[in-house]
Amino acid sequence: MHLNADSSRSLQPVYRWPVNLVCIAFACFVGWLPTGDAFAQSDRPVDFQREVRPILAGKCFTCHGPDDAAREADLRLDEATDALTDRGGYQAIKPGGHRESEVWKRLVTDDADLRMPPADRHEPLSPAQIETLARWIDQGAKYETHWAFVPPSEPPVPVVPGAATPIDAFINRSLDDARLQPSPPADPYTIVRRVYLDLIGIPPTPAEADAFVADSSPIAYSRLVDSLIARPEYAERWARPWLDLARYADTNGYEKDRPRTIWPYRDWVLNAIASDMPFDQFTIRQLAGDMIPGATDEDRIATGFHRNTMLNEEGGIDPQEYRFHAMVDRVGTTGTVWMGLTVGCAQCHTHKYDPITHTDYYAMFALLNAADEPEHEVADPEVTARREAITAQVRQMEDRLIEEHLLSANDSTAGSETEIKNAFEEFVAATRTAARDWQVVVPSAMESTMPILTVQDDGSVLASGDVTKREVYRLTFPPLQNGSAFTAIRLEALPDESLPAGGPGMAFYEGRRGDFFLSELSLSVGDNVLKLEKPSTSFGKISIGSGSADAGNVIDGEGSTGWSTSGAEGQANRWVANFEKPFSPDAPWTIEMVFERHFAAALGRFRISLASGDEAVALKFDAATEAELVKWQTDPQAAAGPSLVDSLQRRFLYVSDLIKEHRKAIESLRAKMPEPVRTLVMRERPEGNERLTRRYHRGEYLHPREEVAPAVPAIFAGTDGPMPTNRYEFANWLVSDANPMFARVTVDRAWRDLFGRGIVHTAGDYGTQSEPPSHPELLDYLATRFVSDGMSMKRLHREIVMSDAYRRSSHRRPEVFAIDPQNKLLAIGPRRRLEGERIRDAILSSSGLLAHRMGGPSVFPPQPAGVTARAYGNVKWNESQGANRYRRSVYTYAKRTAPFAALGVFDGPTGETCLPRRDTSNSPLQALTLMNDAMFIEMARAIADDVAREVDPGDKQATASAIFRRLITRPPTQNEVTAIVDFHQAIEADDAARWMLVARALMNLDEVITTP
Amino acid sequence: MIPDPLSQLTRRQLFSSCGIGVGKIALASMLAADRSYASSSDGLHHVAKAKRVIYLFMAGAPSQLDLFDYKPKLVELEGKPIPPSVIAGQRYAFIQPDAAVLSPRFKFSRHGESGAEISEILPHTAAIADDLAIIRSVHTEQFNHAPAQLLVNTGSPIPGRPAIGSWLTYGIGSEANDLPGFVVLTSGGSLSGGAAMWSAGFLPGEHQGVPFRSEGDPILHVADPPGVSRQTQRKTLDLIQRLNQDRLSVVGDPEIATRIEAYEMAYRMQSRTPELMDYSGEDAATLEMYGAQPGKPSFANNCLMARRLAERGVRFIQVYQADWDHHSNVEGGLKNQCKITDQACAALIKDLKQRGLLEDTLVIWGGEFGRTPMVEASAALGRSGGRDHHPQAFTMWMTGGGIRTGQTIGKTDELGFHPIETPVHVHDIQATILHQLGIDHERLTFNYAGRPFRLTDIHGHLIKDLL
Repeated sequence: MHLNADSSRSLQPVYRWPVNLVCIAFACFVGWLPTGDAFAQSDRPVDFQREVRPILAGKCFTCHGPDDAAREADLRLDEATDALTDRGGYQAIKPGGHRESEVWKRLVTDDADLRMPPADRHEPLSPAQIETLARWIDQGAKYETHWAFVPPSEPPVPVVPGAATPIDAFINRSLDDARLQPSPPADPYTIVRRVYLDLIGIPPTPAEADAFVADSSPIAYSRLVDSLIARPEYAERWARPWLDLARYADTNGYEKDRPRTIWPYRDWVLNAIASDMPFDQFTIRQLAGDMIPGATDEDRIATGFHRNTMLNEEGGIDPQEYRFHAMVDRVGTTGTVWMGLTVGCAQCHTHKYDPITHTDYYAMFALLNAADEPEHEVADPEVTARREAITAQVRQMEDRLIEEHLLSANDSTAGSETEIKNAFEEFVAATRTAARDWQVVVPSAMESTMPILTVQDDGSVLASGDVTKREVYRLTFPPLQNGSAFTAIRLEALPDESLPAGGPGMAFYEGRRGDFFLSELSLSVGDNVLKLEKPSTSFGKISIGSGSADAGNVIDGEGSTGWSTSGAEGQANRWVANFEKPFSPDAPWTIEMVFERHFAAALGRFRISLASGDEAVALKFDAATEAELVKWQTDPQAAAGPSLVDSLQRRFLYVSDLIKEHRKAIESLRAKMPEPVRTLVMRERPEGNERLTRRYHRGEYLHPREEVAPAVPAIFAGTDGPMPTNRYEFANWLVSDANPMFARVTVDRAWRDLFGRGIVHTAGDYGTQSEPPSHPELLDYLATRFVSDGMSMKRLHREIVMSDAYRRSSHRRPEVFAIDPQNKLLAIGPRRRLEGERIRDAILSSSGLLAHRMGGPSVFPPQPAGVTARAYGNVKWNESQGANRYRRSVYTYAKRTAPFAALGVFDGPTGETCLPRRDTSNSPLQALTLMNDAMFIEMARAIADDVAREVDPGDKQATASAIFRRLITRPPTQNEVTAIVDFHQAIEADDAARWMLVARALMNLDEVITTP
Repeated sequence: MIPDPLSQLTRRQLFSSCGIGVGKIALASMLAADRSYASSSDGLHHVAKAKRVIYLFMAGAPSQLDLFDYKPKLVELEGKPIPPSVIAGQRYAFIQPDAAVLSPRFKFSRHGESGAEISEILPHTAAIADDLAIIRSVHTEQFNHAPAQLLVNTGSPIPGRPAIGSWLTYGIGSEANDLPGFVVLTSGGSLSGGAAMWSAGFLPGEHQGVPFRSEGDPILHVADPPGVSRQTQRKTLDLIQRLNQDRLSVVGDPEIATRIEAYEMAYRMQSRTPELMDYSGEDAATLEMYGAQPGKPSFANNCLMARRLAERGVRFIQVYQADWDHHSNVEGGLKNQCKITDQACAALIKDLKQRGLLEDTLVIWGGEFGRTPMVEASAALGRSGGRDHHPQAFTMWMTGGGIRTGQTIGKTDELGFHPIETPVHVHDIQATILHQLGIDHERLTFNYAGRPFRLTDIHGHLIKDLL
């Protein structure tokens, strides 16, 4: 951005330079060009999209593009209206006359103050670029909408002799144009290895490969493709690139990087891919499954897509600041995945290159911003069965204790039994006496710092929405008519399914989920604060910190002390205090509660009651049981009902010191109760509770500005029909014809996954800064067919791998590289290093160790202890045992701050941001990993052992060949066999280790980690 | 235009080099592509003053008020709240803004010809005061550890951007061809910013920092597996290389040639590492000066290792000491940390100087933010006598690599609350680091996700007083 308003850069005509002088200067500058009018007369048509826009976008749009805040000289060059307008006798661009166009003059002047682009902003244009612009102007300066913003239309398939498929017709035509011959098909061993690795992520066994090679049927290959696409491993391979986009991980990221449960989302993706869910449905469910009419559990689980954002649990953070960052991530990811645009650029200012304004960005933000972010309990039959079994067993054990100690006939020999019975009688009597007739009071007005407070049917108050780390609730109560004077107040902290871990608190990071921390509670009438005394609680424990959770903390005037019920998530507890003087609420009165910790810890659901009588205490019974006790109390003759007796008996088992030893077995059994599986989901807020979205000046959280209504970017809103105003409509819009981008972006992603590069090379960006597609018509053909054929990913993958282009030999040919050094035209077949997951999976599969089990919680394959020990909190990597050591890598526990080492070293993702394309580096650390990582040594040993069972170990040539083929598929050459056998002889090792060392060496060959 | 990763690949292949230990060459090619800036400075943007960096990162944030920025006013105000006009609108991690003032915990005096004012618990640092440029006016916006540490190391508070060391090896390679160009040494407890602080972000993966393990082999998997002799390892290498060569001749993919080179470098790393770890060549006086005990992991050992890595041409060496987060008992905590670090930091400077390395080694000392003039106390957390996070002002020092030393720059107000003279943002520190290495921070960019990125984002000014 030019901070100085330099007048020489405003768009004034360059009067100082007579035209002929400019010509001289220009001719000197571009001396190799024809002089005079010759070059301008060149009539080779200029392609705006491919030739002109990239120049303008790269050199001009930063200051003369869509961003009006950065715009200089009030000039836009990204659209015709402004560029061609008459500015009082001159034009920036004058169609048909480059010499009269101010733009051209500014490009060629040698006055450094006037020349564009300014030297401190961009490199100067090359003579060829200037010539292109001049010709474009002379040819009429026709602007065209950027190709990607024009909806694709199905192009006719060119008739090209010898083209086996429509894909080949497009590709061969380009090759013909460039006078390039395509390479011959790869040999069958290469093909079978390539298509296995690409479609299911593991290589064929030698037997599978041989069967294919021996199959002379003309449909052998298509049969193979069909069978691979139908295999469950297809989903395990294709989930990975999607999970890269979804920035999936099993931990929260940032400092503490604690575990999270979101693997049910990963399994949802696997199942959706396995069942070939149409891409529109696949999209809508992940972005807005909760809003689908009649949403199922599965639909809700799918919304985990945008819950894969990171969660900062560092002590003392501002939670809303990190929610803002998560939203920024969601907007950017949505733009990348479904629009192919780097909308993230518009977070801070209007996009410099693409027509997305600063406000557009926050309008998209608003579309996604109306949801709460709860957990959703997943029906997991295994967990449910285990929970039910433990619950039943606990009950039985309780019953037995009750039977043995409380009910059995008095036996005078057992003094301790009598003692227990007596204690129980005392407990019952005391409890009965202590019960109070609590009257629930309902506030008539409620304020909070941030949460939305609503009164529930039972008179309790439920909090929802956002929360801060210093939260104040102010509840106003109406006068009570009956004129009674109350002596005590009770606060019930209540569980609720909508709260983290079932409540009662709103804590969702740093502290235990569902925790709360009540610092202070005060009751006042007008300015008069009533004095409270003799407080008690049913239970108290704080998390994070050494402080107490005493009842008195709530009325001590000190914010850093308080009451909390950590560890009792999902349970109700009570705090009770007595009024110093009886309280007659004959005027409106208020309760103020302060929740002040270094993390957000407000109460999520609570209820206030008042009572009169002698000193009240918090009972270890819930309100309903206490009410029953009160009934019993008021009718001294009546016997306690069976349910009340049952409650009293069971409670006694847990509170009496006399039963301490007896209940140990129950307690240890309860500790084994598995947590229900709760996965992270989105839940749209109810109407009336929408979250306001604002524009943030410079994208900074601390600088919110005006409110912004939800909408898609204005450039796409021009079409007919209603435009999306919420997340569900937005999801539908993204996969509709109204969004010109998604189909191209989606098919191009598949293309990239199979060819190593997209038809558009700049993965994740299809905007004006992107490289023009190498095969624009092919891209549109694939995109339109994809939509008209029902958005089947399997069909798309099949169509691509059935092409000749995919099946060509990947051997380099110098004559091709002379013309097309990057093989953009695909004369040569695709060859690329596998990503870490497929490297590990392929070798696991070759070793025979690979365990086939789909889905479930993530697993911990072996890796050196030091890898996670460096992460925050010296985290232990609890290596899985048994089959879980050998599962597909898509199930490997993904810890953001310490990614699994063997995957990370091969450019594996951290899960911190949406990753549209992985890097493929080539480093010595990869070599060290493959050679020396104990995990790979274990695989080498398994290969050697397995082969020893199949092949006579005395036959060295056969053994060498068998190991080679397991890893590389093709039969080795005689030279290769000889080299391997020589190695086997020459090394210093025990006989038992020799073949393992052979396998280890061969695992390190380039071919093992490459699709051939 | 958008750089083409394939052409980047080709460039890499052209120079037959892997990211780690690329040599000076990749760099020159990158900068030379930038025609208008070609100069006589060896492919750099300008003549470099420093060849390498040692960054002593005091993670957790040391209290500037008790070490470098003495404020008598705090003695006067002890126990009283700070005026509302000062604290209005400030966000804190743990305390409420109206917490009472805590006076400096230690005595200060002036040292060296420069008269630098330094706390009594940094006697060794005080003794080299004239070798330092002390900056008392550094500030940041981040008030939590992880984002603040990431901001210092990567220019962004959100994980995912390349670290300074990654930018450097990407930009100018490394002079070590048998060791990683960007090495991370750690001591103390957990680091909030974690591995994202040495991530290559969107830069090619080989530019990632390599954390040395403090026990066992410094580099993961650098040792041969049990039962594999060096001879077997060499023969293994030979077999791999031979079969890969054969394949290269058939397939012609230059990536295979790169892989062959990577395996040779891996073997060299394996051979070089034992020598690197062998401290027997260090004399007793040197060990004593650092307070290092070979074989016993410590900050002092890491400082000595930093010098050894610097001697071997490693470009960016980052030494983290983690335990400076003194929310409670800042006095005791500082005493401990200064005991662990003061002597070794000063020894490193003296050692570099006596070996002639200081002139082209830039050394930086500092944390991610400062600490409050107000006390932190909390019953829930069992804290008292601490200081909370204070992003508004803190102190760092720099030396070597062409930095003008023997001066203290920047000044804070009488409460040590805000800078009032020469404010220096974290991005300014980064711009200055790159500058000393011959790089213009505005011109070292990488196109990613549709726009050029740089270490300093859209910010950063050179700290002129240091040049």
